[in-house]
Order: sequence, then C-alpha cells, then structure tokens
Amino acid sequence: MSARRHDAHLLTGAYAADALDGAERSAFERHLARCASCAEEVRGLREAVARLGTATAVEPPARMRERTLAAAASTRQLPPVTPARLARRVPRFARRTALVRPAVVTAAAAAIAALAVFQVSTAHQLDQAQARNSAIAAVLAAPGASMETSGTKVGGRVTVVVSPRDHQAVITAADLPSPPGTRVYQLWVINASGARSAGLLPRGGAASPVLADSVRPGDHLGITVEPAGGTTQPTTPPIVLVTARSGAR
Amino acid sequence: MNTSRTGPWGGSPDPAEGGRRNLAGLVARVARGDHAAFETVYDQVAGPVYGIIRKVLRDPAQSEEVAQEVMLEVWRTASRFDAGRGSALAWVMTIAHRRAVDRVRAENAATARERKLAPGPDSGEDVAELVEAAMDRQRIRRCLGTLTALQSESIRLAYYGGYTYPQVAGLLGIALGTVKTRIRDGLIRLRDCMDVAS
Repeated sequence: MSARRHDAHLLTGAYAADALDGAERSAFERHLARCASCAEEVRGLREAVARLGTATAVEPPARMRERTLAAAASTRQLPPVTPARLARRVPRFARRTALVRPAVVTAAAAAIAALAVFQVSTAHQLDQAQARNSAIAAVLAAPGASMETSGTKVGGRVTVVVSPRDHQAVITAADLPSPPGTRVYQLWVINASGARSAGLLPRGGAASPVLADSVRPGDHLGITVEPAGGTTQPTTPPIVLVTARSGAR
Repeated sequence: MNTSRTGPWGGSPDPAEGGRRNLAGLVARVARGDHAAFETVYDQVAGPVYGIIRKVLRDPAQSEEVAQEVMLEVWRTASRFDAGRGSALAWVMTIAHRRAVDRVRAENAATARERKLAPGPDSGEDVAELVEAAMDRQRIRRCLGTLTALQSESIRLAYYGGYTYPQVAGLLGIALGTVKTRIRDGLIRLRDCMDVAS
C-alpha cells in the first residue's frame, strides 16, 4: 500500500486538493479515520483550498438558476443521520446509495438466497440455517422491499434489503477485506434511541447474509470493526452506514 | 455537536467571506426543506461552484451540467453538513471540486491510451491571473506570493488542473515525494497566511 503509516501524513495536502486517485484516496480515508491530527490538518487545508476555489468565481448562466431550483423542488432530501456521533464519521462516498426497482430486487434476492443456502456447510447447522433462510427469503420476497448497495470505507460493498412489512433487513457484504487480526465486523441497527447490535458478519468470505430484526424505516444499519466476539456498543467509526427506507413501490 | 474537534477554521468563519457569514445557518434551513434558504445559498455559492468546475473542466456546457448537479447535491445532502468539520463554504467547494476531478478522470481513463498527460487546461496561465475574480483576491494573491515557485506550481496543477499528484510529478519532472510535500507545505503556508491576515 502506498499510503504507509510513516508517510501517510504527508498526503494531507494532496488529499485536500483532490490529487489522489480513487484507490489512494480510499486508503488515505482509512488512515484519516484513525489519525485525529491528520483529520484536523485536512480540515484546515480544505479551508485554504476552498479560498483558491472561490477565487475562480464566475457568474453562471442565468438559466442554471431556474433549472437548479426547479430540480430541487422535485427532489427529495436525505434525512439526517443519527446519532450525530456516528454520522460525523461516515465518509461522503459511503452515503451514495441507490434505490433499485422491485424487479431488480427480485433478481438480486434470488442470488442472495442461493448464497445463503450454499453457505451452510455442515448438517447440524442445517435446522438453524433453514429457519434463518426462510426468514431471509421472506424479507427478500416481501412487497415493498427496497434494496440499497453502498461502498464501504475499507473497500467492497454492502447490500441491504429492507422489508417494511416484516421490520427486518437482510445484509450481505461483497469484497470486504478480512478484518485485522482477530477482529470482526459487527452490524448495528442505529436510531434515535442508540445503537443495537444485530450480530457479527461471518468471517472468511463474509458473503453469507445477516438478518436484522426490528428495523424501522429511517433506522440506519452500520458496520464497525470490533474485537473478537463483538461488543455491546460500537467502539470504532462505522465503515459503512445505510438508511433503511420504506419501500420502493 | 462535538465542538472539541472544531479546528482553527471550523468554528470561526473567515471575515473575508462577508455575505457568506451565515452560510452554515442557511444550509441548516435548507436541510429542513426551506426553498427560500436554498435560493439564497444558490446565490452565494453558485459563482464559486461554477467557477472552480469551469477552471477544471474548461468546457462551458459540461461545467454548467456538473455545477447544476453539485447545487442539487447541496440541496439533497444539506442534512449531512456538519459545522464541526469545517465551514459550509469548504463543504460546498469540496463537493464541487471533487465532482469536477472525478469527471476529468473518468474521461481521462477512457482516452488515456491516446494522450498521455496532455498539457493542463491552463498550464500557461499565471497564478495571479487565476485569482482576478476573487472577492478577496488581493489577500489570496499576497498569500500565493509567499509560496515557492514549486509549491504554487504543484498546487495549481493539482487543484486548478485536476491532476493527481503522480501526474503533477510527471509534468514537473520531480519525485513523487517532493510533490507530496510541496503541495502540503504550500497549502499549510496558504492556510496560515490567510488565517493570520484574518
């Protein structure tokens, strides 16, 4: 990795000026999450860079104003992320999510359900797994279920299918790197009353789905890196945060 | 709000901002769906947003399209602005600049084989010319004047040119590590200069 610890700090300027390419930008953002002095420096350098930006101010065409205001009038705004303690640490790019059409949900749901079945490797896990799989299948097939995919701060993607009918969500991760050492990925349901653990993501491939209960529209699903066995409250900033929406139909 | 993380720039808006002084308050109103507040925000930042995008992209039609996307992004994500992490102006300008360079790099990736490191869109321009349009241009020019030639050249190519620092190193024929430190040292000097002057 090019952003090695000893020289990562030197990248604050290049980062503030957007002079890092995608991979290095992500690597540096991982470093930023752990380096308070770097984050502080980036904050100050961004202000300086913004002044260089405002120095280029040009009057935009008048039509742009009308178009922008009209577009805003027909565009729904993102809700605030709560609690603020977690929200402030989520990187901008992790918030880019996309709602997909129900037909796409169905296709993706089939793929996820197939994965769920293949993850069961031994016979004694089967009963438990079957109950879980039917719950997962119910979420995926639920009318009004919505799906969102979001990149994470450490790479890879997380897909969340939410069933407002069942108040349940199915979460799958793809291409997540292994957590360091014995650490684990832990899933949280976050709302105004705090963060509640929804279990650990399986180690290894980490592709098998996790089912979260009591998920209401507007709740957030977040994943953090925690010590082996998980914790009762998150101890690190989330690597990804996705909002549970009410259905896409 | 976690005020303990507020930096020297985070809590106190730059006096030179003048009319943008209450931009953070306006963004908070935008987050609550206030269309009138959004119009005011638009009037305050559309010029800088369009300006920096045009500086990077050059093409007026494309710049207008991207600037409109950025303004809509401001409307859509206003609730995610966190005053504890910096000024509202820096938040908006970060969105604008990043959109512009992402657009440049997506296009460059498509045509990288034909033209390796084509000259920058404004590589012949003098740094002082770039700041003519600024409301606080004198101060910025004075601060830019305190940089070494290599610092200001590196910053200009990276920020106004939209180049990655390895590309800047290639254009200037200097080592990667040198570019990294020149950009950082130059921005630190700019930051301190503007801070002192305020």
